[in-house]
Amino acid sequence: MSSIIKKLFGTLLEKPWEESQALIDNKHVGKTFGVTNQMSAVIIIFGISTAIFSLIFTAYLYSIPPEQDTTLILKNKLLWINTLVLIFVTYFFNKISKDLKNNLTNKIKNNIIIVGALSYLFLFLQIILWYQLMNQGHFVSTNNYFSSYYIFTALHGLHLLGGLFFWGQISSRIFKLKEKDYVKETSNLQALSLYWLFLFIVWLVFFTIMFIYNDSVIAWCKSLIA
Amino acid sequence: MSEDFNDNKTIQAQSSEAISGGGSGVGADADYVRPAEVADQDLYHGHSFITKWIFCQDAKVIGVQYFLLATFTGIIGLILSWLMRLQLGFPGLAPFMTAEHYYQFVTMHGMIMVVYFLTALFLGGFGNYLIPLMVGARDMVFPYLNMVSFWSFFVAVAVLLASFFVPGGPTGSGWTLYPPQAILEGTPGSGYGIMLMCISLILFVAGFTMGGLNYLITVLQARTRGMTLMRMPLTVWGIFTATVLAMLAFPALLVGALMMSLDNVLGTSFFMPTILKAGEVLEYGGGSPILFQHLFWFFGHPEVYIVALPAFGIISDLISVHARKNIFGYRMMVWAIVGIGALSFFVWAHHMYVSGMNPWFGFFFATTTLIIAVPTAMKVYNWILTLWRGNIRLNTVMLWCLGFIVTFVNGGITGIFLGNVSVDVPLSDTYFVIAHFHMVMGIAPLMVIMGAVYHWFPLVAGRFLDEKLGKWHFWLTFLGAYSIYFPMHYLGFIGVPRRYFEMYDSPYVTSAVGMNEFISLAAFIVGAAQFILIYNIIKTLKVGKPAGHNPWQACSLEWLTPTVPPEHGNWGDRLPTVHRWAYDYSVPGAKEDFITQTTPPSEVANTEVEKT
Repeated sequence: MSSIIKKLFGTLLEKPWEESQALIDNKHVGKTFGVTNQMSAVIIIFGISTAIFSLIFTAYLYSIPPEQDTTLILKNKLLWINTLVLIFVTYFFNKISKDLKNNLTNKIKNNIIIVGALSYLFLFLQIILWYQLMNQGHFVSTNNYFSSYYIFTALHGLHLLGGLFFWGQISSRIFKLKEKDYVKETSNLQALSLYWLFLFIVWLVFFTIMFIYNDSVIAWCKSLIA
Repeated sequence: MSEDFNDNKTIQAQSSEAISGGGSGVGADADYVRPAEVADQDLYHGHSFITKWIFCQDAKVIGVQYFLLATFTGIIGLILSWLMRLQLGFPGLAPFMTAEHYYQFVTMHGMIMVVYFLTALFLGGFGNYLIPLMVGARDMVFPYLNMVSFWSFFVAVAVLLASFFVPGGPTGSGWTLYPPQAILEGTPGSGYGIMLMCISLILFVAGFTMGGLNYLITVLQARTRGMTLMRMPLTVWGIFTATVLAMLAFPALLVGALMMSLDNVLGTSFFMPTILKAGEVLEYGGGSPILFQHLFWFFGHPEVYIVALPAFGIISDLISVHARKNIFGYRMMVWAIVGIGALSFFVWAHHMYVSGMNPWFGFFFATTTLIIAVPTAMKVYNWILTLWRGNIRLNTVMLWCLGFIVTFVNGGITGIFLGNVSVDVPLSDTYFVIAHFHMVMGIAPLMVIMGAVYHWFPLVAGRFLDEKLGKWHFWLTFLGAYSIYFPMHYLGFIGVPRRYFEMYDSPYVTSAVGMNEFISLAAFIVGAAQFILIYNIIKTLKVGKPAGHNPWQACSLEWLTPTVPPEHGNWGDRLPTVHRWAYDYSVPGAKEDFITQTTPPSEVANTEVEKT
């Protein structure tokens, strides 16, 4: 991070019209950061999606009904199982990334299948969870607590579906390749791995906010102010 | 992937050696450029009419597509403004104009002009056409995604315009779409109209995100050799920073539109408080309309700079080229662009002074609003200092530039009035506000667009637009715009409220009748004057004077392509190599009054670059 800040401010201090600076600038090869275009795209999407999810969290914190038990959804076991599934997905994607780096290609195909299967499982379980909530009478319009939960999980799921679209494209290419040629897809797979990590982080933040921002914490904060 | 392109591909390391090896004697070391690390790009060249001109992946064609579609929607916005002025200047003259229609036209005019015209044109139009050319790339980094971006915009426009044809018509809730009234019965278009507006906005944001990814990554990662960030023309800096703003601000619009759609369709209450309607409690409850205002303006204010920053960048380049001087204070200009961009996220609530928020918020946001005037004023000074003692060519492009500076200063000064809470409160919701924002983000950016069209048309079409028609176009627009908006400031001061369908019998408003008629007549003339440009373009395409290579004697890369107009892939066999910034005009000791970015130091050995 500090190197990025240094780079940014260092760049802004350059005097491109001076001869001494021209000698340095002529050596510039055309790239600002040493990452692939795919990775750059994921990092930027990371930023945009962070803005989207932050605004939803803000809306949630802004309009949570005072009478609502804020830990109600956390009491559902399926939510914890889903989190576990997401942890496994992230682990396997990370493994693919590492294996590619170390040129260990024999398990990559299997791990890609596991990642896809677990991601679909996660989405399936999310729908089951919605179904359970609705059976208990907690609909999207019940109050802002549930509205926020549904909209967050829907958007998170859409992000995952988007990732799965690219997962499908890359997988189909990998399956056509010989094992020694898997490295051709390294940049794509690493970008996708980062994307899944991001989705996991968003999920964790959501979980933490649901967990932390409850009545007792609010009461504790109020007592501090008092 | 096209096989044609493979024939044209060169290994950049070889071309680099060829260039650097040629120099000897003076400046041979200075001419040295390292081999490129940016890989040459494999492009898809369309062969049929459809792949070449409709579903095309060439950023230049996509830029023109954006430009044409944005202009089309802009003309609809213009016609809507005529209808509004018809009602305000001559009430009752158009029998079809009901209060509902008036509100619908106000809403659609605002949203179309801000989002679907100005934003799409600056970022989608100029961004696509100019970024790859100005940074020395063959195309955007993800051409396919770029194409999808345009077609998402196309669908967004189609959905938006479809709302004119659904039961109830388009939404009439004002361009800010404030709930709860936007989705409650009694507001025009509270059913399908608002729904289509939200869907269209969501599509627009999704499409723009795809385009924005391209602009950012192309600028950061696909520049040609020697093109450092600080050697980029200010146009690219403006578009780049505006794209960063858009990427962070549009999510707020997306979330707002999404949540309001859910409030409308599924009965959620994100923005809906408990509401009584005819004595009956509606099912809504617990939401906050103010939350929507925060979301909307968190998008809405950066949106002003999403439009303004590209305009700032473009005008800087136009002034420099046509005043034959390097841009005064290039670094300061870049800092100002970045600074304004950052500050624009801390001023949004100055649009909400009368929303009932905590007064301390007003104090904070008034302060940040006034701070943003500092980098903005820096830019104005630098434009004037660039003109100072320049070898000014008083052509159509320069006229638009000068018109922009004057208009922007006018609009900016009234912005300082409105930034102060105590002055804003009495002026809120009056015509003073209308006059302010039309001057600063309506007419001023429009002048930049016009200047840019006259400047870059020879690159796009290979012919000069007619100067005489251009000057008529400018003077009618410039004088006409002032005839519209100067009187509006006065109307605001005497308290004429905005958004009113008619002024009824209010005694203080009767004095405004004559003025309203005058403003309306001026609006009709200014609107009609814009068709001079369309005529000029058609005439030029048929019989315009050929422009040839680099007709303005500019330094920046877009004018240095092997062919005019540039072909797909832009640079023929070899990507350009950059040796200097884009502003070496009137350099003492140089043979000509400009040194292009690709000229190596050894070719201009005895020149002395001015300090800035």
